[in-house]
Amino acid sequence: MTTFSRFKNRFISKLLVRLPFLAKRSVAAYHPPESREIPWTPVAKKLNKSIVALVTTAGVHHRDQKAFDMKDPNGDPSFRVIDVTKPFAGLMITHDYYDHADADRDMNIVFPVDRLREFEQEGLIGKLADAHYGFMGHIMGPHLHTLINKTAPEVAHLLKTAGVDIVLLTPG
Amino acid sequence: MGLIQRAIEHIGIPTIGISIVREYTVKVKPPRTIYLRWPFGHPLGEPLKISQQRAVLAEAFKALYAIDKPGEIIDIPFKWKRQKYDNYSIEELKTF
Repeated sequence: MTTFSRFKNRFISKLLVRLPFLAKRSVAAYHPPESREIPWTPVAKKLNKSIVALVTTAGVHHRDQKAFDMKDPNGDPSFRVIDVTKPFAGLMITHDYYDHADADRDMNIVFPVDRLREFEQEGLIGKLADAHYGFMGHIMGPHLHTLINKTAPEVAHLLKTAGVDIVLLTPG
Repeated sequence: MGLIQRAIEHIGIPTIGISIVREYTVKVKPPRTIYLRWPFGHPLGEPLKISQQRAVLAEAFKALYAIDKPGEIIDIPFKWKRQKYDNYSIEELKTF
């Protein structure tokens, strides 16, 4: 993808925030695999005893990690481990398909780790997990297969191994 | 996002998702969702509006415990900037 294409994607993402009817058209053109069966795990633990982790598709990652691939028009199905024991200021967003100017000012609007830390200190949740996971949305074509069959199950396994009790998911 | 949510729920961890594109969530069918009619890039609200962000988080946790039917979407009636969030109480979370 050319630099012009990336510029065009960023320009469209800014328009989508300001013109809701364009956003609706953009969604109508997007065809994720339709699902019938819905997985279900009952909530077994009290909130104030639960370890909580975040998974976001807003393109969040540490500055010293490889950025998501914005040149592939089908997106990037890989993920980044976000270690919240490191300084929050070391996080950034790579994602051309939504306008993240506001999220760049305050990452909590897409990745609410400061708010969850407050909930932990107030005793509302048991514990904030150390490791959280960042994906980018806008995954299409052959990369959907990779996401569904490889990277999403890998992250699920990592969360399970870490003893996480509840996962909150946020988009971009 | 919903596809990842489904994989996590499938392995045995309960999940709650925040959606700002209802049509997409209806297609993907994640197990539990709250929906806010808010702009792209702002699932928790506006930058530095702490009480607004806390209110959305509280609604997400309430929905996690309230939803008992797989695939349910709870529409949150928050009116973006016209809503007053400072008096929103999160005390109810202590009962979960």
